[in-house]
Formats: sequence, C-alpha cells, structure tokens
Amino acid sequence: MVHVRSVLAGDRSVTMNVIADRPEARLLPSRHHFAIARLVAFLRLQLRADGRSVETPEHLILPIDRDQSSAEIYAIATWVFLTTASYFACLLPLPLPLALLAAIPLAFIAIHIPIVVGGPLVRLLAGEKNHVRTISAITMGALLISSLYIARTATWARVVAWLFLTVVAGNAIAAVILWMLRGRVQAAEKRCAE
Amino acid sequence: MTRPAWWQRFRARGVFWRQLLRFATLNVPPWTEPVIIAFWSAFFLFWGPARRGLMRNLVVIKPRSLAIVNFFRCYRVFWNFAWTIADNIRFKESRSIPDWEFTGWKYFQEMQSREGAILLTAHMGSYDLGAQLFSETSTRRIVMVRAPEGDSETQEFEEGHAAGGLRIEFNTRASDLAIDLLSVIRDGSIVAIQGDRVTGDIAFLPATVFGQPTRVPAGPFALALAARVPIYPVFVVRLGRRRYRLMTSRPIELVRSRNRDADFARAVEQWVEELERAIAEGWFQWFTFDPYWPEIAA
Repeated sequence: MVHVRSVLAGDRSVTMNVIADRPEARLLPSRHHFAIARLVAFLRLQLRADGRSVETPEHLILPIDRDQSSAEIYAIATWVFLTTASYFACLLPLPLPLALLAAIPLAFIAIHIPIVVGGPLVRLLAGEKNHVRTISAITMGALLISSLYIARTATWARVVAWLFLTVVAGNAIAAVILWMLRGRVQAAEKRCAE
Repeated sequence: MTRPAWWQRFRARGVFWRQLLRFATLNVPPWTEPVIIAFWSAFFLFWGPARRGLMRNLVVIKPRSLAIVNFFRCYRVFWNFAWTIADNIRFKESRSIPDWEFTGWKYFQEMQSREGAILLTAHMGSYDLGAQLFSETSTRRIVMVRAPEGDSETQEFEEGHAAGGLRIEFNTRASDLAIDLLSVIRDGSIVAIQGDRVTGDIAFLPATVFGQPTRVPAGPFALALAARVPIYPVFVVRLGRRRYRLMTSRPIELVRSRNRDADFARAVEQWVEELERAIAEGWFQWFTFDPYWPEIAA
C-alpha cells in the first residue's frame, strides 16, 4: 500500500512528501542530487520494473528529498576531496609522496573555506536562513575555477582537472537528456508512488 | 540556574558547539558533508574525557579487544555521533527527515493506540530525532524526559529548538516531575525516558549489564507501576547516512504484587536484556561518554 503524503506540518508549516512501504522508491530520480545520478536512478528504476522483489522492512518511510542518496553523496564527497587534495599536491614545492601527505589536511581545510568564509558573508547579505544552495554554488564554482587553472598547467594533476571538467560536462549533458525525458521520468515516479 | 561565564560556552558540552552545528546544517553542501564530518569526528578524538570514557566502556562490551582497536572504535562512535546530531539539527531547522525503517511495528502501533504509555530508550542512535519526529506525526503527545544540560544557555537553546508537539522535561526536580508525568500519562500521552544511565541524584535500581554491576534509573519503572501502563523498549538505530531503524520490543508489563522489589527486579531484568542486545549490535552508536560501570570508573 502506498501513501504519498505531507507530514511534519508542525509549527513551521513546512511539508515534505514521503512514500511508505515501497522500497523501490529508493531509486526515484527525485531522491538524487546531480543530473548524472538522477539519470542513472531513472535507468535503474526502469530496469527494476521487471517486478524483482526487494527486501521490505515491516514498515518503511522514504522522504522525497534530493539529498537522500548515500551512494551518490559519498561518491561525490570522495571525488571532490581527492580532486582538491590532488591540486594541493601538485602545487606544493615538495617531493610527490610528501606533497600528497601534506595535501590531505590542506584539502580538509580548503573544503571548509567556502562554508566558513562564504557562510557568514551570505548570512550578512541574505539574513539567517538555509544557504546550502548558495554555498554549494560557491564551492562548485571554486572547484570549477581551480580545475580550469590546473587543466592548463603541465603538471600530472591536469589529468584530474580534465576528469573533473569532463564529469561536469557529462552532468550538463545528463541534465539535457533528463529534460528531454521529463515526461517519462515523471510517469515512472508516479507509477512507483501509486 | 545562573548564567555561565562567557568561556563556558566553549566547553565540550557548551552551547557554542550546538550553535556551530546549526550554522553547519544551514550552510554545508550535502555533497561535502561526509568530508566535513570525517574531519570533525577526528577533532572529537581530542575530547579526552569522552574518549577515555568510551574506551573504558568498550573494554566491558568487547572484553578481548586491544586498546589500539578500541581507539579506532572511538572514532567510529564519534563519526556516528556527528551524523546523528547533524541529522537531528537538520530536522529541527529544515524539517528534512531521514529514511525510516521499523521493526516491531505492531508493538509501536499498540503503544500509539494505548491511553498512555512509557517509551524507554537509551542514548543510542538519534533518540532525539526519533522523539522529535514522532511528536509531530503521532496522534499522541510526547513528553521527553532528559538529563539537564550543563548550563542555562545550552538548556535554553535546546528548549528553543524543540519540535512543536514535543515537550522536553529536564529531570532536575525529581519529585515534582514524577507527579507531573503521572498526570501526563493519565491524560493519554507517551512519556519518553532514557533508561540506560543515571545522572545526578536521581533514584536508581541495581542492574547487571554485560556481567558488570551498574545502575539504571528507577523513575520509568516506578512511573509504570503507579500509572499502570506498560513500558515499551524503543531504540533508534542509525543504519547509514540519513537512514534509521526504529526498533520496538515486546512491552515490559509491571504487575503489582506484595513484593515491590521483586516486581522492579523482573522489569529491570527484561529491560537489561533488551539494552544489552541493542548495545551489543550497535556499540558504535551508544553515546555514553562517561564510564558506565562504577567499578571501571573507579
């Protein structure tokens, strides 16, 4: 039995859609953040339409939230971290093994910078509310600029930079494909929620 | 409670860290979250008293383990702790909920349909998130009893960020609170209490957990006996990123007899059985940062 409902109106009148007792809803494109992941989720959802059984807990509540996919988020986080660490390693005037070692803490610190610097600035300009989208754009923008710079250098890290740029371009293409398939995606999501 | 000195907000349990976490949930992109949490979980390892407390507890839970292994296990506990407190704040700030799986669903429904019940839980997974969430979805009013915060600022912060349908009671004034909770249960509400550790001067009952003597709070058992309602052991276990399981077990029925101590002992035994099972399976999310067993603390 499926329930798509709004819960948690609470005192702040914010609602969220959830799907109950449909484990395959984990694959809904709407539960993924980036276009590539949404497209992959859509394809997996289509393949799952063969009626294969999925392990069902006694009761299950799945919210429809674009940041719910752990596999996607862990993959992106690891990739962003390794990319940042590679850029530091190639820029540090140290032998490569030492540079890689030093790059790890530097990458941890660098990933905090858009949040620590951008967060208070955005808060100052736009007030105290949820600024995750703005900080996401700033962080991705900083990575994009760094990648464009590193891609033009003659270092080994240019391979990493080109990989980053290729994935960003791939994501843009996936977004276009998803836009073209939007009717089918919506239909598949609706079928899953019914 | 008097206003704390300005520097006390930076203590391990001070309000600064909660404000920082709130700032993070409002600003950190989800796709950098694992990196940020990995970093801050390592930072928690510098919190000496908590790390030492965890290591001492792990010696009892995993008796044949090496100290170095337990050190890395501490990191795993802090990693889970960071995720659960972040999920809790995220829910409070943006009403973003995780995936929920339920086991013991029939007991959970039974608890919700009863006219008053006691939900007994432990400092495991996101007990706060569970209470906050179900206060907003349940038809029953939930009253959560928890240990008082170290200072007034932190307590105000917690009270100010609670969910609408949830009432938080801090167990500082035990006698007044007992009467209050009794009337709350008689009105048909659910009282959620953490039953794994004794803080401050609250009444306790002797228990044996993992073969070591310890104490569990007497309040939930006395309340169940007075209100004539069952106790439902409920554990909120973190399964992964934004994914939780709510496990409800067979209720503990306290039957009044001539021997009150024996009544309590039977109930405590059943509770400890559930608690041990939950801790054995989920030691990495039992957030007890002080030595739990008095003998190992000495």
